[in-house]
Amino acid sequence: MMERWMVITVVIAFYLGVTLAIGLLAGRRTSHSVQGYVAGDRSFGLLVMYFVTGASVFSAFAFLGGPGWAYSQGAAAFYILSYGALGMAPFYWMGPRIAGLGRRLGYVTQAQLVCGRFPSRPLSTLLAVLSVAAFVPYVTLQMRGAGIVIEAVTDGHVPLWLGALVAYGIVMAYVLRSGVMAVGWTNTFQGIFMVVIAWTLGLYLPIKMYGGVGAMFEQILEARPELLVPPGLTAAGDPWSWGGYSSFILVSAIGLMMWPHLFMKAFTARDDDTLRRTVILFPTFQLFLVPVFLIGFAGVLFPTAPPSADFILPFMVLETGLPALVVGLFCAGALSASMSTGDALLHAAASVVVEDGVGPWKRLNDHQQRLLMRALVLLVGAAAYRAALDPDSSLVLLLATAYGIIAQFAPTVVASLYWRRATTPGAFAGLVAGAATAVVFWMNPDLRPFDIHEGVLGVLVHVPVLVGVSLATAPQPEGHLTRFFPERVRGASERTGAGAPAGGAGGPD
Amino acid sequence: MKLGAARLLAVGYHLLMLVFVTWPGMLPFARVRPFVLGLPFSFAWVAGWIAGSVLVLVALDRVERRHREDE
Repeated sequence: MMERWMVITVVIAFYLGVTLAIGLLAGRRTSHSVQGYVAGDRSFGLLVMYFVTGASVFSAFAFLGGPGWAYSQGAAAFYILSYGALGMAPFYWMGPRIAGLGRRLGYVTQAQLVCGRFPSRPLSTLLAVLSVAAFVPYVTLQMRGAGIVIEAVTDGHVPLWLGALVAYGIVMAYVLRSGVMAVGWTNTFQGIFMVVIAWTLGLYLPIKMYGGVGAMFEQILEARPELLVPPGLTAAGDPWSWGGYSSFILVSAIGLMMWPHLFMKAFTARDDDTLRRTVILFPTFQLFLVPVFLIGFAGVLFPTAPPSADFILPFMVLETGLPALVVGLFCAGALSASMSTGDALLHAAASVVVEDGVGPWKRLNDHQQRLLMRALVLLVGAAAYRAALDPDSSLVLLLATAYGIIAQFAPTVVASLYWRRATTPGAFAGLVAGAATAVVFWMNPDLRPFDIHEGVLGVLVHVPVLVGVSLATAPQPEGHLTRFFPERVRGASERTGAGAPAGGAGGPD
Repeated sequence: MKLGAARLLAVGYHLLMLVFVTWPGMLPFARVRPFVLGLPFSFAWVAGWIAGSVLVLVALDRVERRHREDE
């Protein structure tokens, strides 16, 4: 008779094998060009786009951190539920516009688009550096998540370092070989896994332990009423501020689609309708957070506690006496969440550094570019892996800072797409001012008014600087602008000067 | 529905959502009872706005699609 942890390990090994096979097979049909490696020859259909988007957005942070928050901080976790739909909706219009520019002008990354509009090699490099700075802690978080799950469900027989190494060795193998096609097809497989596992366990646990979802919350209300009222609690157990709760939603909504690994996926879609439908259907994927939170809440009244809140999901699965096969499948679901974001991040990091960091300074041929990208996947992966092994690394804090930086891309991108009067010095000055503001308030959190997230404060500085410097410098030549606003050529100067930059700090329009 | 009206509805819905899931719009709804489908009210409140987002975007897409076909 095999021991329980061995059965679980076999299930996980089988799952990892299937993922590897899908990832390696996926790249067979793409062209051996940079377009093929980075943008999948612009061939993704609705099924793949839906799961690429969903599974890339929802990472180990949502799958492990989400229930951890629900378990220890209660209603504070609802912020994670609130921002997705808000952040995605503007892409109903922005997505097709970005994709159109990509097809017409040959862009495959975010910075190429921005620097196509605002030609500046330093700006391109700045975007690449900021992107990678935000990526490394994010990849680290995914690796740690994978390691935590494997260590927990194998009773420590497979330690964190080995679990993370094996899971990410596989990710590296298929990203190196197949590029974005592997990311697409493995995310489809992993996305289905995540959704099915979350809904099944999320409804099963409350029913089995408490007799139903309502009954569970009745009991929590009796014992821990403070957990159920927004904005919930902080990690220290004190009541969280409305300023903190609201501005976390705001900065995440602004930053969500500015993450280069998500933004770039607009270039992979087969056509505009595919992109639009992906945006429309995204909230249906997002609702899988509801059962994920239920799993966390199910742990609140459990007599024993996990070593830390982030372990609550594997802990509940192990402690409630589920069959080993189910535990193994759950574990695969959690690994899916981690790996499906990690692969997209690694792939994007390499693409961004080569296309935007190096590309503008030194001309490389297609073969050299692909080679350099692969070397960088290894390098970024290794850096993140090193950090993942550090037990003291404060990842949630790092990730929050990352969002503060990423949110600064939003005014720049919106201006490049919609504001004709924006200029290169304006874009550059705004980005520097916004990012610097975010970093200053991150380092001095006590200076933040109303506990507002430093990323929101950064955007509040970014927008006026962008607008002010743009208006103070000479407008871009008309010939340059017509490449970006071809539809305006027909109507001549029907709306000269255009409007103010839409959105910015405002929100979802 | 006209294209302009549909776009206004979609933008307006998401602006309202932003207002009603953050301070101060959420204050009246940041409560536990009544339970909805077994969930505390504030939990169901946020989930409901997300579900509504799908419906609004589907409606918008129908109008946009018809408009594009007419062109």
